[in-house]
Amino acid sequence: MQQIESLKSLKQINFDYYSGAHMAHQQGKFIAYVNAFTPVELIYAMNMIPIYPENHAVIIGARRQSAEVAQAAENIGYSMDLCSYARCDLGSIKAGISPTWGLPKPDLLVISNCQCGTLTKWFEVLSRMYQAPMVLVDVPHSGRGERDAAAEKYVRSQLEDLVAVIERITGRPLDPDALRNTIRLSKQASDLWTRVLETGAATPSPITVFDQFISMAPIVAQRGTQVAVDFYLQLVEELDERVRQEKGAIENERFRLFWDNLPIWPELRRLSTFLEERGASLVTSLYTWAWANLAVGEEDPLGDWTEQYLYTANMHIRRRIEDYVNLASMYRLDGFLYHSNRSCKFVSQDIPEVRRAVTERTGIPGVILEADHNDPRLYSIEALENQLEEFLDLLAARRAH
Amino acid sequence: MGKQTKTLDPWQPFREVLAAPLQTALQWKTKTGRKIVGYLLPDVPEEIIHAAGALPFAIEGAGVQVSRAQAHIPGYTCSHAMGTLELGLRGDLHVLDGMVIPYVCDTTRNLFHIWDSCFPNMFNEFLRLPKRLDYTAARIYLSAEFTRLMEVLGRITGCEVTPSSLANSLDLYNKSRNRLREAYDCHQRQPSVWTAERVQMLIGSSLRAPREDHLSWMEALPWHDNGPEDSQPRVPLYVRGKIWDPPGILGLLDNLGFQIVRDEIITGFRSIAEDAVLTADPVDALVQRHLATAPYPGYHFDPLEMPRAFVKRVRESNAQAVLFLNPKFCEAAAFDMPDLQRALEEVGVPFLSLETSSRGAPLEQIRVRLEAFREMIAGDLP
Repeated sequence: MQQIESLKSLKQINFDYYSGAHMAHQQGKFIAYVNAFTPVELIYAMNMIPIYPENHAVIIGARRQSAEVAQAAENIGYSMDLCSYARCDLGSIKAGISPTWGLPKPDLLVISNCQCGTLTKWFEVLSRMYQAPMVLVDVPHSGRGERDAAAEKYVRSQLEDLVAVIERITGRPLDPDALRNTIRLSKQASDLWTRVLETGAATPSPITVFDQFISMAPIVAQRGTQVAVDFYLQLVEELDERVRQEKGAIENERFRLFWDNLPIWPELRRLSTFLEERGASLVTSLYTWAWANLAVGEEDPLGDWTEQYLYTANMHIRRRIEDYVNLASMYRLDGFLYHSNRSCKFVSQDIPEVRRAVTERTGIPGVILEADHNDPRLYSIEALENQLEEFLDLLAARRAH
Repeated sequence: MGKQTKTLDPWQPFREVLAAPLQTALQWKTKTGRKIVGYLLPDVPEEIIHAAGALPFAIEGAGVQVSRAQAHIPGYTCSHAMGTLELGLRGDLHVLDGMVIPYVCDTTRNLFHIWDSCFPNMFNEFLRLPKRLDYTAARIYLSAEFTRLMEVLGRITGCEVTPSSLANSLDLYNKSRNRLREAYDCHQRQPSVWTAERVQMLIGSSLRAPREDHLSWMEALPWHDNGPEDSQPRVPLYVRGKIWDPPGILGLLDNLGFQIVRDEIITGFRSIAEDAVLTADPVDALVQRHLATAPYPGYHFDPLEMPRAFVKRVRESNAQAVLFLNPKFCEAAAFDMPDLQRALEEVGVPFLSLETSSRGAPLEQIRVRLEAFREMIAGDLP
């Protein structure tokens, strides 16, 4: 793997983020737990620090602490069938094991369910645990992506109420200038992140999805800050230079693959090495694209968030298939790796139908790998590698013909 | 339909419907020339389907042996969704003209996508139920959504749903629910005659048979037969869960000396607990009914209030114990469990939690656990 220099700063960025949040909390600053599709620019602008329990779980998984920590949640009654992010977060609180020294206690929990329903239930548990208020931004799903005028009013009214709730908690009104500033920073970061993903279309790809996974933290947690902008600016410059020099992320790129769904965090390094040794480069992914195009305009951000949550983040199968077909062409894909993720039914249950349709339309084969995004007890890495080996053999045979 | 009305066994019509629900529906369709609209449980308002001139037909996947569905949806899906897909894939649901799937959890959302892909020639509709319950804007949205469903179903059946036709349907379903609640009350007084299994047979068949016929069949039931009193005291039980799964669980509870004083099962008391009280606006009556019904775990309201409200419902039922029937792979229910159990422990109410699935524990194993549970609490009986 040709290491990307810009990624070396991530350790410091993550350290600063979590230690900064702890310190700020100690100094009386307000903490909001949030998820991916919440208006984080608003949270920053209203002087709250957004914290992502999902990211906390990711770090636990990447540090390979998830089996021990998830077990602690199971010991207090949380089923092993539940999302392993949730089990890791709840288990970490119970066991007192955390690579980020835990998370500062929340003053508010904000969630939108266009990401999934699991987070709503997980945050309900946290709300009871911390006796903290929770706001659900409920985003109706129209089944086939049809526009829904009543849903637009419904979602917008919830966002308006969210502003009022935060004003009540912080005792300070929303400062429009502060919001404009975070929106501007968020748009810059989002555009840069989109550019990072687009560089994967080059041959050879200057970055693999594994490195995209690692470099996601700022776009998720610090969208709306200068930190995220600076990091992605540096990353884009390095990747653009790699593209100019035709320097690939892996040395011998034979196969260009798509990764569907969340990563298998405890196996990032092993799978990355396994694929690299076989000349397979993961060049794009649904998961990393989810954070592209999240910017909103300064004129009517509530309207833009409404539009985004209802029609962009709110994935339905037809658009998903359409997107994959387009990505196949844009990235000149040789194959699709579909992670059927036991912990994420929301993204996984459609996969058999998606695979069938995408292969029918593109002729590009896909393989379904049943695993879990954070719990290594729920899959066998050896079995996954065997499946991958067979799939790469199939791709090689197709190419030979 | 008017079938079986002269039978000597008043329970027989209901038994026949449940023995072959789709055939019964098909007979109705052939006779009337009208349409059948299937709906996935829970919370699709049957009244709207009825007002559109169609037969509302509840689809329940529990207990269905799954084989074909495995190629279309992963095995870590609840048996309700997998079984429903299986029924469709093996052709059992060919009598349906349409299907309404409600948005109550991530799985029903995805099931709609998969269903729509597998059965593109059926009229499939996704009912966009809001997840917030204690919120004014959700009420407004739900009203708009029910109105949209009326328009969609009117187009499918060719029979426009008007406020007047909807009000008539509300009236019929209210009468039916009232009668079913009386049956539920009979179970409280005479659990040996009006067994839980029988009462559930009444409710279950009402969700599949023409409601007018069902209401008339109920008139022949032994409402005034005082029958024998139970010689043994029964354990008053509160049941929370999705569906009566595994099939046969109610017979077990009857035989082991339990008495279901209240339940939140979506095909059980929860489906008959609330009426759509007729006001000037029948859609609003349906909205009020939806919001008054015991919340399904996929919905959201004040998290701090959730366990308190549950304990309150248990206490008001005078149940001595709680049985949880949690479908395997149902995240919404599983997230609630530890806090619900803790809340019950705090007030000293014993509980048993069974993880249910057609691929789960066999009935005999469940019998052993229920027997042990009953023995554990028997000492506390009055």
